[in-house]
Amino acid sequence: MRTREEIKGLLNKVIAAIPGLEAQASYSFEKTIATRLGENAITQNTGGEEERIRLVVYNGKRSGSSITNKMDDDSLGNLVRVSVQMAEESPEDPEYVELPGPQKYNEMQKAFFEDTERLTPEQIAEDVGVVVAKAKEKGFRASGLFDVDVSLNAIANTNGLFCIESSTEVNYSTTIHGPMGSGKSEMSRNSYADMDIDKLANTAVGNAEMAQNPVDIEIGDYTVIFEPAASLELLGFMVWNMDARDASEGTTVFADKVGEKMFSEKVDFVIKIDDPGLPTPIFGDAGLAVKPATWIEKGVIKRLYHDRFWAKQNGTHANPVRYPIFMNGEDNSIDDLVKKCKKGLLVKNLWYIRYVDQKELLLTGMTRDGVFLIEDGKIVGPVKNMRWNESPVVFLNNIVALTRPERVGHYAKLPGIMSEGFTFSSKSESLYSDRKCRPASAGADVAWNRIEFFDEYIRSLKEGAFL
Amino acid sequence: MKQFTDLALDIAKGAGASFTDMRIVEERQNRVYVERRSLKLIDETESSGYGIRVLLNGAWGFASNTLLTKDEVIKTAKRAISIARASTMVPKDVPAIMAPESEYVDTQVGPCLEDPFKVSNKEKAELLLTCTDIMLNQPNIVMAIGYLQFIRMHRIIANSDGSYLDLTNYFANPHLGCYAVDGSESQDRSFQGGARQSGYEFIREIDLPGNAKKWAEEALIKCRADDTPQGTMDLVLDPMHLALTMHESVGHPTELDRILGWEANMAGRSFLKPELVGNLKYGSDIVNFTVNNNLEGGLGSWFYDDDGVKMQKFFMVENGILNSLGTTRETAPIIGWERSNGCCRSDGFNHFPINRIPNLYMEPGADDSVTPEDLIAGVDRGVYIEGMGSFSIDQMRNNFQFGGDMFWMIEGGKKTKPLKKVTYQAQTTQFWNSCDAIAGKKYWRPHGVMNCGKGEPMQVMRMTHGASHTRFRNISVGGAQI
Repeated sequence: MRTREEIKGLLNKVIAAIPGLEAQASYSFEKTIATRLGENAITQNTGGEEERIRLVVYNGKRSGSSITNKMDDDSLGNLVRVSVQMAEESPEDPEYVELPGPQKYNEMQKAFFEDTERLTPEQIAEDVGVVVAKAKEKGFRASGLFDVDVSLNAIANTNGLFCIESSTEVNYSTTIHGPMGSGKSEMSRNSYADMDIDKLANTAVGNAEMAQNPVDIEIGDYTVIFEPAASLELLGFMVWNMDARDASEGTTVFADKVGEKMFSEKVDFVIKIDDPGLPTPIFGDAGLAVKPATWIEKGVIKRLYHDRFWAKQNGTHANPVRYPIFMNGEDNSIDDLVKKCKKGLLVKNLWYIRYVDQKELLLTGMTRDGVFLIEDGKIVGPVKNMRWNESPVVFLNNIVALTRPERVGHYAKLPGIMSEGFTFSSKSESLYSDRKCRPASAGADVAWNRIEFFDEYIRSLKEGAFL
Repeated sequence: MKQFTDLALDIAKGAGASFTDMRIVEERQNRVYVERRSLKLIDETESSGYGIRVLLNGAWGFASNTLLTKDEVIKTAKRAISIARASTMVPKDVPAIMAPESEYVDTQVGPCLEDPFKVSNKEKAELLLTCTDIMLNQPNIVMAIGYLQFIRMHRIIANSDGSYLDLTNYFANPHLGCYAVDGSESQDRSFQGGARQSGYEFIREIDLPGNAKKWAEEALIKCRADDTPQGTMDLVLDPMHLALTMHESVGHPTELDRILGWEANMAGRSFLKPELVGNLKYGSDIVNFTVNNNLEGGLGSWFYDDDGVKMQKFFMVENGILNSLGTTRETAPIIGWERSNGCCRSDGFNHFPINRIPNLYMEPGADDSVTPEDLIAGVDRGVYIEGMGSFSIDQMRNNFQFGGDMFWMIEGGKKTKPLKKVTYQAQTTQFWNSCDAIAGKKYWRPHGVMNCGKGEPMQVMRMTHGASHTRFRNISVGGAQI
């Protein structure tokens, strides 16, 4: 990995080759080890590194941009030539905004750790072995990704801005399949020293044990308790809709909502820069310094994301980043929420969320890797996966209680959420089973298959599954 | 280049590798992106690098690098070997082997009549700005998006079978869409033609400016349309819509690596099992799905896959019965199949090749005279859906829910009024078994998908689907409304 001084010199060399024009040069470096496992074995194991430079040149309101992953003089010369030529011939951009000048960057939580940088494929394989051994003890099968990233990003521009930041990330994720059900666990930290491999493995295996032999339940509206991973799946989608310009044009659910209460008073969404559990980037778009921000306070929309053009149009500051998401919580555990629940579902993970209607922010998706029926404050047992159709707006408005926030991945810290009236609309045979399909005659297999699927379909119709 | 690939292969052979390959990938990309009347992005990317894949003692190691010198190739090959040794610490029950494959030495260049990198960026930007301007000049259109992407992919694949392949493909990927707002309602409409393996001639052929006004008008029509009907009814689906339905419910479940459990942590598994090949009634008797990785213009027509297997054509589903699975040289022997059918691809030099959906399409109906109007005429109450919209399917590829880009109510055998917010929900084999009519080959259209995400770390792959208009009976519609 190049030193900070080398990178600054590299970027300045590129910018200096463009006299008289405005320009921004960005550098990125990424070194990864990605170890993949399936069926209790390493199935794929990769390592590599790549550095890139992106140059944007402005000729008045015209711009051109080029990217290369070669740092030799010829490649950098070509980078400059292509960008300058493109900036000469491209149409003028009426939304051009001049590049920012030097920024005062905040002191952030440490994101780079040498113990992570030093990790080897052998050490990662040892960690994989811990998970696989615990899965095998139960007769289960582990899959997953054990991923380590070392990255460095820098920006320099002709207005004197320079910023640079390095970070390390360890992300271990594993799904454990038993004969009739699965469980998952993920852990993401910046320092390898903060990883707890035993906890990761025990949680995944424990979730898988709990999830065995799920039963059918009626579809309909349920009180749900989303673990933090499921909360992120749903709310991460919402964050992309919190754009000020889109709202002003009326294409999102946030149209005319700034200053209004949309959610439960329990909901605060902010960007923090001082949370020791989740470092926030030092800079964002165009090198702008990241500062604390409040998007939602006590359920009221305080601010939507402004890019640099829309901020200038509206006389306000631009938002350099949308992430990380920090959502507040309450002094509860998931177990505490379960005790508060008379009848409902504990949802560990969600899957394949997409819009049904963007304006309404109506989403659809599936449950995955663990759904559990709760009755009278206790978990009764696992249930089969279901399709849901719901809006995060409704979900956040119907909040009953929250857990303490937890880090999920590298871009969010948020709580488990208990909410009422979450709509499940159809069932699924999305359960993995170890059983072999009957190796009988073709006719017998066809009949078996038809019965399984049509029976499910007819039952669902009788229960009003699709309405 | 051969001196470098020979060097890598020799080093791995010396270490005892049973299979090795080195892929050198050079990619040139050009993108132009317009939002409203603003040119947000215009760029060119040059990237190159190589990946060395080593199978040692039945375990894989892979290392990539961007520096192509003798010393760096040696370093990268040794790293791949070292990583393979680490993989043996958590070994497979049965050590991995590669299905046998012929030795090929070949040079191929894919279709490209007009080199997109020789068309000026000004022309491309002005084309998109013209299109978004046409859209924004229509009533109630508040947002328009235009995008052009061109890729030249050059792969050199050398492997320990003795193959040496020099392969070049061009891809053209256009997009145009807009949003209308009417009162509190907002709806979008977009170009649905997908991408193609082609030069700039594809962009000239599709006439984006000539269609921009129609799509803008239809976005507003959607805003003012009735909401989805609810209940069990028939569907007539157009080819562009079916591309996504078959991608999710036929393409992914037939990937053998998913069936073997290797995607279980991310993309999921499959309801299929190898023993269902030849037995499972996947669809009705008229349903035929063909894999054709030599399809002209197909985004998966790469001449050879990244295992060095020559691209092939075969039935995935024939007369409604599951006929095959998509395989790689590693996955095929695990279920006792002798050879791979060429479904192993990587999205770049730095990613490990994995089992991918090939070009996969639905054959047109046997009767060429059948038209989409004939299909609609046979529907008493149903919905006609054009293009792709909402989409979601569970991780076993059973329960799915799809929307679309434009919807029309069918009553008494006729399209009667536009609709909005339509979704339908079904289980995979229930859905394909409910297919009762397919329009003739005159109506067959391909649709290139550029954004198929799979794998960890995520890889984004390209393939082409295709279909004629098709009718399905008794499907649940409208269940997504709350």
